[in-house]
Amino acid sequence: MSTAEFEETATATLDAELGQRSPDAKIEMESRELSVWFGSRKVLEGVSIKFPSNSVTALIGPSGCGKSTYIRTLNRLHELIPGAALAGEVLYEGEDIYAPEIDPVSIRLKIGMVFQKPNPFPSMTIRGNVLSGLKLSGMKRPNHDDIVEETLTAAGLWKEVKDRLDHAAGELSGGQAQRLVIARALAVQPRVLLMDEPCSALDPASTLKVEDTIAELSKSMTIIIVTHNMQQAVRVSDTTAFFLAAENEPGHVVEQGPTTEIFSNPQDERTLDYVNGRFG
Amino acid sequence: MSQHTITYEHSGVRLEEIKKQSPLRPWANRTAKFKLVTALAALIPLLIIAVVYAFTEIPGAIVVVVIYLPMQIISAVIAALLVGGKNAAPDAVIIVLAIGATMLSIIIVASILFTIIIKGFEALSLSFLTQNNEYISPPTPLGYGGIAHALLGTVLIVGIAMVISVPIGIATAVYITEVKGKGANAVRFFVQAESGVPSVVAGLFILTVFILSGAITQSAFAGALAYFILMLPTVARTSEEVLKLIPDDLRTGALALGSTRAKTVMRVVLPAARTGIITATILGIARVMGETAPLLLTALTNDRTIWNPFGDPIASLPTFIFFNVSLPFPSAVSRAWGAALVLMALVSIVFTAARYFGTRKFAKS
Repeated sequence: MSTAEFEETATATLDAELGQRSPDAKIEMESRELSVWFGSRKVLEGVSIKFPSNSVTALIGPSGCGKSTYIRTLNRLHELIPGAALAGEVLYEGEDIYAPEIDPVSIRLKIGMVFQKPNPFPSMTIRGNVLSGLKLSGMKRPNHDDIVEETLTAAGLWKEVKDRLDHAAGELSGGQAQRLVIARALAVQPRVLLMDEPCSALDPASTLKVEDTIAELSKSMTIIIVTHNMQQAVRVSDTTAFFLAAENEPGHVVEQGPTTEIFSNPQDERTLDYVNGRFG
Repeated sequence: MSQHTITYEHSGVRLEEIKKQSPLRPWANRTAKFKLVTALAALIPLLIIAVVYAFTEIPGAIVVVVIYLPMQIISAVIAALLVGGKNAAPDAVIIVLAIGATMLSIIIVASILFTIIIKGFEALSLSFLTQNNEYISPPTPLGYGGIAHALLGTVLIVGIAMVISVPIGIATAVYITEVKGKGANAVRFFVQAESGVPSVVAGLFILTVFILSGAITQSAFAGALAYFILMLPTVARTSEEVLKLIPDDLRTGALALGSTRAKTVMRVVLPAARTGIITATILGIARVMGETAPLLLTALTNDRTIWNPFGDPIASLPTFIFFNVSLPFPSAVSRAWGAALVLMALVSIVFTAARYFGTRKFAKS
């Protein structure tokens, strides 16, 4: 076997591992040897992950290993923190999102985000929250009523709020508010949706609803989800990356691959221990 | 064996009795000794100062503060030692001091209000609120002439000051908390320093820089500029505190939707802080409304009704009170008290409005 042939096979195998659903899935996003700092403290080191189109990738690992920091570098929210710095590349559709000519606003529009804590805008109604992204980004989309119904249905909230769309968003429970902000993120039609522990504040029933939503959405968008819940990672994700940080060391990816592999047949002992709940 | 039994639905007679229970507060039941001791502890000091007040020449305020308060503390401690033991004594002292301090501030506010209402009510009439002083002189009896011109002046001056200082104050707060520009700390420092400017100095500044230089005349606008100097730090500092309370989640949430920073501030952060910003405005108004010294230098006073804020010297409630209360005519002094009553009413209207608009939940789609 020639070197070229070997490389081709190797790449195909790697792609097969990453894009479980279809071996030749297009890579929507990827980070290459990404290292991240807060001031002089290095919190992430050499993170390279590929995110195939229309798949769900779970980022797991103990608290403080840099998962949330990592996910925030993917839509340029990281730079809002004073003292933030990074090295390496984040590619979206093959282009570096940190290139000087790229407008962070346009990146955040294509790569939406749902946060750990539900953050509906308190001064707006339920309907206003769903449509807020359009107003805030200046995006023009017709048929606002349809958008509201579509996105709220996709987020699994439509039935609960359809009769009180003009009520203040503050009336909603935590679980409802979280589904509302998912609908809000969907209204601007992002290609990628980042979810930073979206279910950590939710009760089991709401969690299941959000997970159903993720499954539905992943047919048409790329989802990257940080979770502390192993069962959730197994239930929702196609591929998984395991982050770990030794004491006073920056976090890095120990192991990544198809979710079934990571959970049933991990190659690294630390992954085995973590997914079996022995630490973290 | 399992201890699992169903005790509620099937307990028959017991259930009937349970249904009849009425809500009680067993912790409020006191022993007879407790009731007697606390009653005596409250009554004895009152009786003593009643006697002292009746048979000596000592003024009432001194009787209350110097004699009654310490005596009440001592009697509360004795009572506490009798019924609650050693640990209850410090509690008793704190309770008496807390209630005493509360009563004191209520009494002070109430007596100011009481005095103003009693003395001001005499002057109050429809003509007092609708006429000016153009055709009367200070000794003229109370039935003629009024403070409409001063009321209008105060509204004009405060209104203009508000229109200038609220946008600038909010913009300053936005610069400090949202833009976080390089000069944010310096700006915060200067705003803080500005809040220490004595009001008479603000008036002097406008007088020398704007009026004596011939740029503007002594007028409502000049008065408003002086008020602006006093209002700005209050509005800016209060708005800053309010904006700091808005969770960062909302800002990142908006940015994650592809919002620009300007739109994030205008459409998400400021609307979320609306209540607090209204409060900031009201506090700014309350800060200046009664300020007299700057207006004496910049707006002066007038007996006529002045509508043009850029024209002539103009009357205002504080300067009206100031000039009339020092006159040797009972009717003028009475008018001053009437004006004070109107000023107080104006301030309470502003505060009530602030409460109303500040607490109502508005949500726009």
